[in-house]
Amino acid sequence: MSQLSTRHLLGIKDITKEDIQLIFETADNFKEVLNRPIKKVPSLRDITIANIFFENSTRTRLSFELAEKRLSADVINFSSSNSSVKKGETLIDTVNNILSMKVDMVVMRHSSPGAPYFLSRNISANIVNAGDGTHEHPTQALLDAFSIREKLGDVAGKKVAIIGDILHSRVALSNIFCLQKLGAEVMVCGPITLIPKYISSLGVKVEYDVQKALEWCDVANVLRIQLERQQIKYFPSLREYSLYFGVNKKMLDRLDKEIVIMHPGPINRGVELNSDVADSEHSIILQQVENGVAVRMAVLYLLAGAR
Amino acid sequence: MAILLQSLRLVDAEYVHPPKNYIYTGSEVVLVENEFEGKIDQTIDCSKYYASKGWVDLRCFTGEPGEEYKESMDSLGELLKSSGFSKVVLMPNTHPAIQTRNEIQFLKSKSKSWVTDLVINAAATKDCEGENFTDILDLNQEGIMVFGDGINPISNPDRLMKILQYLQKFNGILFDQSFEPLLALYGQMHEGEVSTRIGMKGIPNLAEDVAVHRNIEILRYSGGRLHIQTVSSKAAVERIRQAKKEGLNISADVSLFQLLFSDEDLVTFDTNFKVNPPFRGNEDRKALIKGLKDGTIDAIVSNHQAQDFDAKHMEFDLAHSGMIGLQVFLPGMVKLADELGWPLLISKITDGPEKVLGIHKPGLEQLTIFDPNERWVYDKKSNLSNSANHPWFNGELKGKVKFVINKNNFFKVQ
Repeated sequence: MSQLSTRHLLGIKDITKEDIQLIFETADNFKEVLNRPIKKVPSLRDITIANIFFENSTRTRLSFELAEKRLSADVINFSSSNSSVKKGETLIDTVNNILSMKVDMVVMRHSSPGAPYFLSRNISANIVNAGDGTHEHPTQALLDAFSIREKLGDVAGKKVAIIGDILHSRVALSNIFCLQKLGAEVMVCGPITLIPKYISSLGVKVEYDVQKALEWCDVANVLRIQLERQQIKYFPSLREYSLYFGVNKKMLDRLDKEIVIMHPGPINRGVELNSDVADSEHSIILQQVENGVAVRMAVLYLLAGAR
Repeated sequence: MAILLQSLRLVDAEYVHPPKNYIYTGSEVVLVENEFEGKIDQTIDCSKYYASKGWVDLRCFTGEPGEEYKESMDSLGELLKSSGFSKVVLMPNTHPAIQTRNEIQFLKSKSKSWVTDLVINAAATKDCEGENFTDILDLNQEGIMVFGDGINPISNPDRLMKILQYLQKFNGILFDQSFEPLLALYGQMHEGEVSTRIGMKGIPNLAEDVAVHRNIEILRYSGGRLHIQTVSSKAAVERIRQAKKEGLNISADVSLFQLLFSDEDLVTFDTNFKVNPPFRGNEDRKALIKGLKDGTIDAIVSNHQAQDFDAKHMEFDLAHSGMIGLQVFLPGMVKLADELGWPLLISKITDGPEKVLGIHKPGLEQLTIFDPNERWVYDKKSNLSNSANHPWFNGELKGKVKFVINKNNFFKVQ
């Protein structure tokens, strides 16, 4: 198989295990390209990609832009902060503008769950979801799983604990779908108010004690506290969160094994993750960033092939 | 004028009766036991049709005044007639809200040519905001017996209690879609496995359960008549069942579409499925059906809420709530007929809602005649609403209203 089963990447739940494996194999090749002196390939020449970000983003947007440029695509960028978006108008207007500009692919981040689905029903371009509210962030999950595979050899059979604000995290949801498709066991851990009540229906274990989660897992993916998505109070203070749900070096020292620490970034240092962990030999956070470019190149390349 | 309705199957709360001949005399419909001795002006072959006493919808919204482009009183009148309803309770959530004699008189004048009888649910609080009372006694002078804030629950317990007390002066009814807004804050759909899977903020059943429980306790204290609208959760059904057993003056309805759709329908983020209360899970649906069967739930409503294209054609969490429900009401019942049976369905849109309104009487002064098997395409051409916010739009449906008798007139539905 050399083609994806879909022409959009809207969510991990919509793609197959074979799709994920194809993306990984393609990303392996692109990672090799990225380590050459000349890092650019002509694969997407004459393809125009619009990066449309309705939510603030630094690393995801840069990662996509770099991936697109490495593939020789023509790139246009559009950013709009949520506060300036009058209900619905901007997305509809954007849809119409994209239609007029004959853009081939759209990479979109939006605060509304399902917004890329809405877009995919209304335009003919390929859509890549770069994060839609509390729904999915598929390329982050792909690069996370790719990084686990790179570090541990395989994802199947591994135990991955996702720790932190699960309720507001699109990374958590995409990771759960992706890791399960690849045969990993998944646990979520955090304050009970930040864990969806029905999360176990997705086949994940639930733990409220971070130390116990660390003892269980091979990989701990620590999530950022999504203060910008918390419309109401979920825990008393950042201090208390950091004391009872943050991951620090002492906790890792208590383990009788080595575990891998991941974080999708940006890190709230001293809140969910202490610097002595983030910058330690356990951490593969910077490898995640590096792999992000290769994985996104693979996704864009394969979707362009599905046109 | 005498019209012979030949071989018509009458449906009531008990049976689908064998085909018989009926005569519409110009004022009522009577069974022809033997030969009809008078002159027959017209004969209609009704061998494919069912009929029942006139249908009553306890919860319907208009856009007029304020949002006529969504649904005007003219379009609604035509829609109600063609959908088989001979009586409708209109909710107060217009702009301005239905809260003074002016708006009442306006609606009455706009509905003068309607075939359907209009019952107005006037706002219980100003602008339906749940705080300051409307001039309830003054509105009663206009004949208003039903009060409530429509899409907004009266969530302040003190206000609810005082309204229940105040209405007792004229035996008025408080209609309330009971849910606790603070437990539904930012919610977009039913909280459950599906909302978890698609990362959508959920509205827990708890929001309804807590409010229904509280409102029942307030009713127990204050007395009066309380009608809970669009019940959607299993726990709320059980609360209402218990309250009825204890003899409290409480009744309830459910939206027809709550019985037809579930939270699973939202996985594609289709905004047509965004409604309030949200479409719930299978356990809730089973409880609602049990509640209909044992009399806990008195009525089935259309909960017709028209939304224009722009209000729905957007991101899910920004889209407006609501689904139109009149023209598709009979096709919806057809889909449920095998499971629930026609007598139960018909009783919940005839006797049931009549009893809620305190206007129940036997006889066939109003009649709705329908073909449960006729297929038709629900599209721009056939749509009578100003809006099209229904997932069945552009699909083929089964079940068509053929004739409506009301106000001493016989109407053929086109």
